[in-house]
Amino acid sequence: MGVIDYFKPVETMTAREVRKFLQGRDPREYNLIDVRQPREYEQGHIPGARLIPMAELPGRLAELDPNKPTIAY
Amino acid sequence: MRSRAAASILQTAGFATARSMLGGIRAWEGLTAPGQPEAGMAFFTMAARAEELIALAWLLEEGSRRFYEEAQRSLADSGVQKLLSGLVSAEEHHKASLEKLYQTLTGSLPGKGFPSSLLSDAAPGDYMEGGVRVSEALEWVKGKNTSEFLELAMSLETSSYDLYIKMERRVEAENSKKVFSLLANEEERHLESLAALLR
Repeated sequence: MGVIDYFKPVETMTAREVRKFLQGRDPREYNLIDVRQPREYEQGHIPGARLIPMAELPGRLAELDPNKPTIAY
Repeated sequence: MRSRAAASILQTAGFATARSMLGGIRAWEGLTAPGQPEAGMAFFTMAARAEELIALAWLLEEGSRRFYEEAQRSLADSGVQKLLSGLVSAEEHHKASLEKLYQTLTGSLPGKGFPSSLLSDAAPGDYMEGGVRVSEALEWVKGKNTSEFLELAMSLETSSYDLYIKMERRVEAENSKKVFSLLANEEERHLESLAALLR
């Protein structure tokens, strides 16, 4: 990725919308990715989130099912 | 910002819907789980078959039940007693659900020696959900006030929920996935009722 990725328009969700989306939904139906650093993840993460630090994401896309709705934080 | 870049990468890679959460974790008002990605998973490595996973999970639920039951004695506050009874019966319910799943998967009821008959001698009997020793947790509870105790309970339950979701992804056999899917779903409902009681 390049610097340009930071400026592309992307769809967003508020934290409240995310919470509502996750509530009562089977975790197998979505990908929830924590793109922060391991130390930040260890301090506290949304239950069930996968840790894939931003820098590793391009190389680890195969771990995720692209057909599922995916939320990154 | 990082998550915007992440969503952008996912979009480019052809993900059906990729969203970035606004405000990051600071905007998150729900529960969070502490710990590394693999935290608590080691406990389940001594089981291979779904039945053994059920037996191990059952042991943890029993540990939690014992913890909440005995904590009732050390916490004087009468307001928390009802909550603790609720937690004890929730753990009873989880155990019953595991027994039912055992029956569904194997076609027979858990036998007399359940769960130890399914486990090696190395299986620890003193652990509760969250991977904590019951005796240590009870030692910690002594002299603590109600809100400190509730904070611990929420943290343990949230960690378990986190662990069960991750274990469901980790195990490969369909029946093993069923075990953790059941546990995660129950834990989520359990957390909701716990949070409602705290409001």
